[in-house]
Amino acid sequence: MAAAVVEMKHITKCFAKVVANKDVSLTVNEGEVVALLGENGAGKSTIMKILYGLYSLDEGQIFIRGKETTIKSPADAMFNGIAMIQQHFSLVPVHTATENIILGNVKGRIDLKKQNRIIKKLAEQYGFDIPVDVKVGELAVGVQQKIEILKALYINASILIMDEPTAVLTPQESDLLMMFIKEYTAKGNSVVFITHKLKEVMEVADRVVVMRNGVVVNTVNKSETNEHELAQMMIGHDIIPAERDTKLDYESLPAVLEFKNVTLQPKDSVPVIDNVSFSVHEGEIFGIAGVSGNGQDELCDVLSGIRPMTSGEILFRGKSMRGMSIRERIEQGMGYVPVDRYRDAMEMDMTLSENILLKASFAPKWVNKGFIRKKALDAYTQEIIKKHAVKATGPDDLARSLSGGNQQKVVLGREVDLGTSLMVFNQPTRGLDMGAVDRIHKVILDEKENKKAILLISTDLTEIFGLCDRIAVMYKGKFMGIYNNGELSTAQIGLLMAGIEEGAA
Amino acid sequence: MKKSNVLIYNIAAVIIGLIISAAMLLFMHINPITVIGEAGRKILTDKYTTGEILVKATPLIFTSLAFAFTYQANLFNIGAQGQFYAGSITAVSLSLALGDKVPTWILLIVVGLGAFASGALVGALIGLAKAKFNANEFLVSMMSTYVVNAFMDYLLRTVLKETKAEYLQTDPIKKSAYLPKIVNGTRIHLGLVLAILAAVGCYILLYKTPLGFRIRAVGHNPNAARLGGIKPAKIYVIAFLIAGGMAGLAGLTEINGVQHMLLQNFNSSIGSFGIGIAILANGSPIGCIFASILFGFLNVMGTTMGRLPGLKIPASIIDLIEGIVMACVIMSYYVRSWADNRAQKRNIRKAGE
Repeated sequence: MAAAVVEMKHITKCFAKVVANKDVSLTVNEGEVVALLGENGAGKSTIMKILYGLYSLDEGQIFIRGKETTIKSPADAMFNGIAMIQQHFSLVPVHTATENIILGNVKGRIDLKKQNRIIKKLAEQYGFDIPVDVKVGELAVGVQQKIEILKALYINASILIMDEPTAVLTPQESDLLMMFIKEYTAKGNSVVFITHKLKEVMEVADRVVVMRNGVVVNTVNKSETNEHELAQMMIGHDIIPAERDTKLDYESLPAVLEFKNVTLQPKDSVPVIDNVSFSVHEGEIFGIAGVSGNGQDELCDVLSGIRPMTSGEILFRGKSMRGMSIRERIEQGMGYVPVDRYRDAMEMDMTLSENILLKASFAPKWVNKGFIRKKALDAYTQEIIKKHAVKATGPDDLARSLSGGNQQKVVLGREVDLGTSLMVFNQPTRGLDMGAVDRIHKVILDEKENKKAILLISTDLTEIFGLCDRIAVMYKGKFMGIYNNGELSTAQIGLLMAGIEEGAA
Repeated sequence: MKKSNVLIYNIAAVIIGLIISAAMLLFMHINPITVIGEAGRKILTDKYTTGEILVKATPLIFTSLAFAFTYQANLFNIGAQGQFYAGSITAVSLSLALGDKVPTWILLIVVGLGAFASGALVGALIGLAKAKFNANEFLVSMMSTYVVNAFMDYLLRTVLKETKAEYLQTDPIKKSAYLPKIVNGTRIHLGLVLAILAAVGCYILLYKTPLGFRIRAVGHNPNAARLGGIKPAKIYVIAFLIAGGMAGLAGLTEINGVQHMLLQNFNSSIGSFGIGIAILANGSPIGCIFASILFGFLNVMGTTMGRLPGLKIPASIIDLIEGIVMACVIMSYYVRSWADNRAQKRNIRKAGE
């Protein structure tokens, strides 16, 4: 058995409102890939941020190569050979790859040419092909991640923590990453791989630590388990896939939403939405798949009315949406669940009933002689709380006091009642636990039953394949094609998401 | 966070501020206990002095509302002083023009509307700059005070100049244009009632009506509000308009209720104190009433101390006390959030065991 390089014993960490880790113990051995598996909010990132010195622990001990160590800052962690790649990269976008990598590790006058050579050589050792003198902000996310990895290699880190590294990558880029991990650990280094994707765990891990609600529920060797068992450990119960009805001839049903050659091109830049045309019909779920950042958010901006399009036409029940205000769009029966509810959908410091009122503050329904009909509003909010099984004490709860899943249920409850003919969902289940995801999928399917037209934008292929009737793949603002669900395999859609056309053959 | 806790922290902060201020007196070789005792006795026993607390509080309620109202839309109105001057100019002009010509109550209504409108105009322009050009409302409102002040000085040297032409001030307004006194033997006038009504009105507007809801929604999260069909730009103008109107009304109470004329550097610090008071009140319109009364009290306390016979306490002691108390109140916010955080952590750890 290989020696333990990291031992974390009985770690407890509390934040102001939640226990993030409770009595968590885990070991990482030399040359091993440990997958830290769990749903969002299970405490995976927290325990690793403690190891990396970003958070301080409240209780417990950390041993590095058998010696008890206090890690107060990332500098301490790096000194002990620990490096971490955050979910959101910590790169300076206006600096080059070299400048980012040597940041904090050089003193005095910097010989940039020499450093460029060193970095290039280091990259070549691992088969990375990166431009060392281009500003990082201009590079693709996949390349940026390689730079993050090089940062770790540059300081000779022997323990590499990766927080959801594949979230931003195409399937092909992920494969390359997996290859790197295998190569890196073969040299006696260790990797902690934080993820909630079972497939990746089975592919790369030697040992799996499963976390749920801040505690370690199990530690298993990969060879002794399977995806199904891991899923059960992670979720605690089985998920029944949402049911959907089969073939329907959508084209013959009336179109609710039509995009006609819609283009959005910011000044002095390439189009972020490039000549997109499609239609969504009554009772249809139209899915847009793609790696995030390929124009999906902009498409929602144009549709919801916060950004005017450059050219093209959007028809809503045959009527042009050009010049229609956001308020008119709401009043016409368009519901919209944005991707970032903290930023765009909720008033975190206001009550639940105020959040319900947010999109209906002009509706005469909630006003009597100039005053808000608080009682009626509270009753309606209570109804939504009950109908969508929101865990809250009542309509006067602050939105902030709810968990992410419950907040999303409130948004969903509000939007499905407002969106009488069209529902737009942008990654409605991002960052939610499986229970909430399940519930939200059911709601989406119910709305389909109610003959609403549904536009579902998602980066999660399981969601796309599980719910949609037709699927479009978006890449760099363009549609790579529109397919009926079932026409595409995961591999094909993966290629399309990476912008490779022949994948749809 | 419970409301009662906020109150306890605020009271504690005020008491600590007073203790520090009292300690300052020691540096002047004055026994703080006798001085405060003397001043306190004077305030409690002399009806006129007691009344002065509310007289001083009246304009502060308006200027603190001027800050608190925009604060709900997450905007900073630093220009209450200028909006107050705009209201004062209108109040004195209308009072001089209409004095003895129309019945008092009509005159007061006209002056009130005029004062509100002129403060609101200055406010709305600031809101418009923010809405149209995304100008920083903090700076624009701050500088607007200087503009209005300069304009006021210009008027005091020209059309509003007193007939004697001796000082930079207007003629006194006619007795019939005075706000009626409501308590005999004091200077408390109808303006106090108006101020309290304004605070209650602001509260109702903000918390009970759709417009107020929209203002608060934009304040908390303008992105979400915008996707809710609310136009933040419009809200900025409306919030500043109402806030400016509030400060403008202080012009009515100070011209027609207290000073009965307009002079250079008129009440030059009620704008800045309004900001502190609104912060002390945590942006709550009702809280503004009580916080203003507290500062009215501190003001009168300082003035009384300065007038105590034989002690030679400098008049600037008022600024000292008010400044120290304000600093303590602001610091108490940091202490409170720190203590709050710790308490919550402790609770969770207990619950976890």
